[in-house]
Amino acid sequence: MTGPDAQGAPGAPAPEHLEYRVAHLRDRLAAGDLGELGVRIEVRGEAVLLTGAVPSARCRDDVRRLAEEALAGLPVHYDLQVTDSSSPDHAEELA
Amino acid sequence: MIRIAAVGDIHMGPDSQGVLRPAFETLPDCADVLLLAGDLTRHGTPDEARVVAREITDLGVPVVAVLGNHDHHDDRPQEVTAILQDAGARVLEGQATVVTADGSRIGVAGTKGFGGGFVGRSAGEFGEPLMKEFVRYSRRCADGLRTALEQLAGEDCDVRVALTHFSPVPETLAGEPLEIYPFLGSYLLAEAIDTAGADLAVHGHAHAGTEHGMTSGGVRVRNVAQPVIGRAFHVYHVPVAARLS
Repeated sequence: MTGPDAQGAPGAPAPEHLEYRVAHLRDRLAAGDLGELGVRIEVRGEAVLLTGAVPSARCRDDVRRLAEEALAGLPVHYDLQVTDSSSPDHAEELA
Repeated sequence: MIRIAAVGDIHMGPDSQGVLRPAFETLPDCADVLLLAGDLTRHGTPDEARVVAREITDLGVPVVAVLGNHDHHDDRPQEVTAILQDAGARVLEGQATVVTADGSRIGVAGTKGFGGGFVGRSAGEFGEPLMKEFVRYSRRCADGLRTALEQLAGEDCDVRVALTHFSPVPETLAGEPLEIYPFLGSYLLAEAIDTAGADLAVHGHAHAGTEHGMTSGGVRVRNVAQPVIGRAFHVYHVPVAARLS
């Protein structure tokens, strides 16, 4: 992560701040082929954590690929589940 | 007792075909109706809607659905609706329908709903045209739900269910960041439900939320977003108390 104080020579483009990289990844997940709004992306110290449930293993792999592209050079941790599509084993009684 | 199966946010795409069908084929054994609480697709394309349609065709129980925000993303909600209707689903937006099961009448009133937030922390109909339209749209959705529930009150239903995509209450959003609650639901939906009356309210949209909640008027609310319930659907057994009392 690089803060404003670490900017280079005057006139040089500022390096992208981590929180904006995270925001752009969130936009990319939502706007791209995935249409994924359900993955939470949080900065945890020097790392980034992605959590949530996605509809398929392919979606999970796509989220990881996009995150690795957008957050290259940073440690990224994943805790992504594929949504369970099994039948329920009980009903709720609304007495 | 009436058995209501419900799920939302199944977010189907080309790689989803057949994923839910095995579980859905068990529905005639455990439910009288299947409610779909929106976000059935990822982008709202006709191709994705056809994936959903094949999952719900000829299930052996009536299917009642509302669309979600994802189902609007491709700006073709009418096409998505038509494809689901061709598959036998009743797709509601400010409308009501009655399904029958073993002589019982199950009334379902539905709207996608919209955001705006909850009492004391909600958007107001003030300022820029876009802001005013945001709140007016949410109000139109809630008014449609109230009107549909009121219509069902005159149709001798044993049970009335409010089906939405956005949440009517904040309790079922617990687990989501507080800052995004205004984008996840609106108290206007709860006010409509409490004004017109219902036995159960079902919604989706909040993947990190919580299943159980209740309106101020005492109507049970269930967040059935698939990531929340962790199953293909959940089943709620609703006593037919209204007719007995």
